[in-house]
Amino acid sequence: MSNSNREELQAFSKIVKATQGADFGPALQSSLSRRRFFIAGGATISFGALLAACGGTTDTGIARIGDSPEKTELVDAPVTDIALLRTATSLEHNAIFVYETVAAAGLLSGDAATLAARFLSDHKAHAEATASLTEKLGGKAYNEPNPRLQSIYIEPALRLITGDDASGIPVTEDPIADVLALAYALETIAGSTYQVYVPMLADASLRSAAIGIGEQEARHAAVIGSLLNPSRLVSTFGLSIAAEYQEETDVPAAAYAVPSAFGTKAPVPVVLGAPDESGIRTSLNLETPSLNSMVYEYVDGE
Amino acid sequence: MTASKIISDSPVRPTEADSELLASAQAAALATRDLYQAAVAAGATGDHTATFVSLAAHHDAYAQAISSLIGRAAPQARDDELFSANKSDFESDATTAALAAHTLENSLVAAHTELVGALEGTEGAALIASMVVIESRHVVALATIAGKSPVGDIDLFLVTPEAAQADAQTTTPVA
Repeated sequence: MSNSNREELQAFSKIVKATQGADFGPALQSSLSRRRFFIAGGATISFGALLAACGGTTDTGIARIGDSPEKTELVDAPVTDIALLRTATSLEHNAIFVYETVAAAGLLSGDAATLAARFLSDHKAHAEATASLTEKLGGKAYNEPNPRLQSIYIEPALRLITGDDASGIPVTEDPIADVLALAYALETIAGSTYQVYVPMLADASLRSAAIGIGEQEARHAAVIGSLLNPSRLVSTFGLSIAAEYQEETDVPAAAYAVPSAFGTKAPVPVVLGAPDESGIRTSLNLETPSLNSMVYEYVDGE
Repeated sequence: MTASKIISDSPVRPTEADSELLASAQAAALATRDLYQAAVAAGATGDHTATFVSLAAHHDAYAQAISSLIGRAAPQARDDELFSANKSDFESDATTAALAAHTLENSLVAAHTELVGALEGTEGAALIASMVVIESRHVVALATIAGKSPVGDIDLFLVTPEAAQADAQTTTPVA
């Protein structure tokens, strides 16, 4: 709000206070005396003059408060094959960011670190592939993490794992388990994203390329799932099979190598970080990029 | 929020050519289901019976989903050639059955990946895509059951063999 507007608003407040004693309600309910009629009328004229002064330059005939901002048209952003490929590349860079951050922090060791290094290498190859396809279609490759997913999922998740003094977030109690849980969710979402993009891609030849990458992301998730839940590789929830083969619990585990019969588009929950004073840990729901998370062709990355 | 619209003029429903391809995929799904069931019936699954039963149920679900998509064009019968070629391995012991299933699932992943690009209708492509991302997970589960190491034998978990990819590119998608 500008200074002039603020002054006008203060003046308006004074008038409102001054007229509060006029007690219009009872007067109107009984008989509106001539004197009160002029008081009320004078106040109305004062409001009108003030509101007219506060309004924009265009006289619409209706008094309003404040300036009327220019209308901002929505950017025309069709979901083209280029936009889908740029978004896919950005998601690969989200994964690259996570694995590089985890490696730099030394959060994983041994076999887990070896696997993470392999997954990192695969994501770099996928990012190069989708970037190359983007350029073949005449688009500009987007070689950075998806900014929205980075801000709503990746950075908060990593803060829960590594801790953040400024925000008062303590380091998690089991960083390896949390990194694997995050990686499982992220790889699952990556696979789901390519699956979701298959019917959206206009060029049918790109669909094979997309699901060819998606199935590799799903394999990453399955390997992590087999490490997190080695006693039950395939979830039986939702399957019409004999009771003797069903799991002896009503609650599905957090991770499976094979969580369902079909790939789903459902959010993937992941529980991370140190428990709070009530013993509750933070739960995030990772989702495939929605229409407002896509890297449309008008979005600049550099 | 952005003004967004999806740009694609592909047909939604399966075309006639799609139905033929999807019919073939259904026959393969039924053969795969029957192979897992044969392994269980032969007592070849050891401690992993629940997994084999679940994988059979997955492929049965694929066959039903394809049937609902293409209706009367669905053969509702397994691919006997595929079944016969794998039956003895599935009925031997848990490790051999898991390795045979691992090879079969990899070939399905490769074939279905090609199929996704061959289908014109988006409903069929979306269905097969949702199968591929799980069949690839089947491969990982089966490599684990076969006793392979996700570190030392990592390519068995993550890579579709070139032979399977070559087969998928030179034959009618699945198969």
